[in-house]
Amino acid sequence: MHFERPVSRTIRRQSEISMSPNKPVVLVVEDHTLIRQAALDIVNLAGFEALEARNADEAIKILESRADIRLVFTDVEMPGTMDGLKLVHYIRDRWPPIKIMVASGRAIVGESQLPAGARFFSKPYDEASIIGTMKVMLTASAI
Amino acid sequence: MVAPITLHPETALSLMLAVISSSSTPLLLLNKELRVVAASASFCRAFGIDPGSMPGQEFAKVGAGEWAMPQLTSLLEATASGAAEIEAYEIDLHRKGLPVCHLIIRAHKLDYSDKSQVLLLMAVADMTKAKADDKFKDDLVRQKDILLREVQHRVANSLQIIASVLMQSARKVQSDETRGHLQDAHHRVMSIAAVQQQLAASTLGNVELAPYLIQLCKSLSASMVHDHEQLSIKVDVDDSIIDADVSVSLGLIVTELVINALKHAFPEHRHGIIDVFYRAHGQNWTLSVSDDGVGMPENANDKKPGLGTNIVEALAKRLDAEVVITTAHPGTKVSIAHSQIAMVENVILEPA
Repeated sequence: MHFERPVSRTIRRQSEISMSPNKPVVLVVEDHTLIRQAALDIVNLAGFEALEARNADEAIKILESRADIRLVFTDVEMPGTMDGLKLVHYIRDRWPPIKIMVASGRAIVGESQLPAGARFFSKPYDEASIIGTMKVMLTASAI
Repeated sequence: MVAPITLHPETALSLMLAVISSSSTPLLLLNKELRVVAASASFCRAFGIDPGSMPGQEFAKVGAGEWAMPQLTSLLEATASGAAEIEAYEIDLHRKGLPVCHLIIRAHKLDYSDKSQVLLLMAVADMTKAKADDKFKDDLVRQKDILLREVQHRVANSLQIIASVLMQSARKVQSDETRGHLQDAHHRVMSIAAVQQQLAASTLGNVELAPYLIQLCKSLSASMVHDHEQLSIKVDVDDSIIDADVSVSLGLIVTELVINALKHAFPEHRHGIIDVFYRAHGQNWTLSVSDDGVGMPENANDKKPGLGTNIVEALAKRLDAEVVITTAHPGTKVSIAHSQIAMVENVILEPA
């Protein structure tokens, strides 16, 4: 038995009102509230439905609760049992089709440390390139 | 040149004993049976040995016998026989209840005309502290690296927070003018962030200017140019490597001038190119941003100095550089030049 966390329910309710049901769903994982809110805006601006999680544990619970998440955009340094790097490797193992985007303030994290096909962005990231990459990744996978 | 002094063997020995006993380097004088002839006070002090126990003592029984290391003993015997000479032999001295000492041993056979009287001089250097110092320094360097990475990470995260807040505010405000200002502020933050990213990749606090300005213009173009067929930004920068502080200023100047050109030079979807150029010759350098747009308004009164212009003027002043704005037909060219005129004048004024 699994109960959805209030955090994702709020977003879903908003999305039910304002968005069409067929938009690809993007899960944003970021522990800092201000950065997370802006990232959710970016996802909406790109034309996708946004879900949010504050850490890897929340993210995994959300991923377990629904099958329509197409892309995960995550921070690296987060409190909890897993950091973003461990999270994306876990996601690739358990849900291979999910696309992965990673952002970090640590310059030493590179795409070589990420699962194949995942994209890395240095913080502070450029919103236009996040939107562009999300669109490319989700459109390419839809074909 | 030192004139050779011939001494009576006994005088020579007593002189040598006096030198040894007062030497600050731990020294041992051994005979060919490896018995102690003399030990310096420093040796007894350094290794906690009673000086009274030393004369005539077997080397292997010095102290509590901790010097009886087979390898060392055979090396000393080989030295006594003239078969070897110990230049720098490293040993670890283990004593009960004391930390291990890292020692370097040097031993020389002293030649006398009387071949029956073989003497060995053994000098000991304690490297324990030097080794500990080296480790301490290595640890410090490692800690500094970790700390620096941590600071860079924190700076990046803080800049991300600022950038996020500015963009969110820009999306929420009703007034177009205010939105423009917030977006400009966001560009300025991103311009400084780009330096941070270049710095994180460098080690000496220097920044390669070309990749930095290319990244900067790419990011400006990605967020401000909607039609890349209509407008493009060209970056022509030499391979200068400059101080991070200077690069922050140059990056901000480029940000202001490119934003300015994007906003004003190409009204009504006019097509065009913005050219970012940098060249250094020794201490002198020129940075310019030019466009092939509509050019500046004819009426000088229309040239309202905005915040951007003020920022460029202030930064140029900081860099000891001059701002020159020229009409390029078509378009506008803004050059910021730094030249060491004062030095050149001094050279000319000096009599030949």
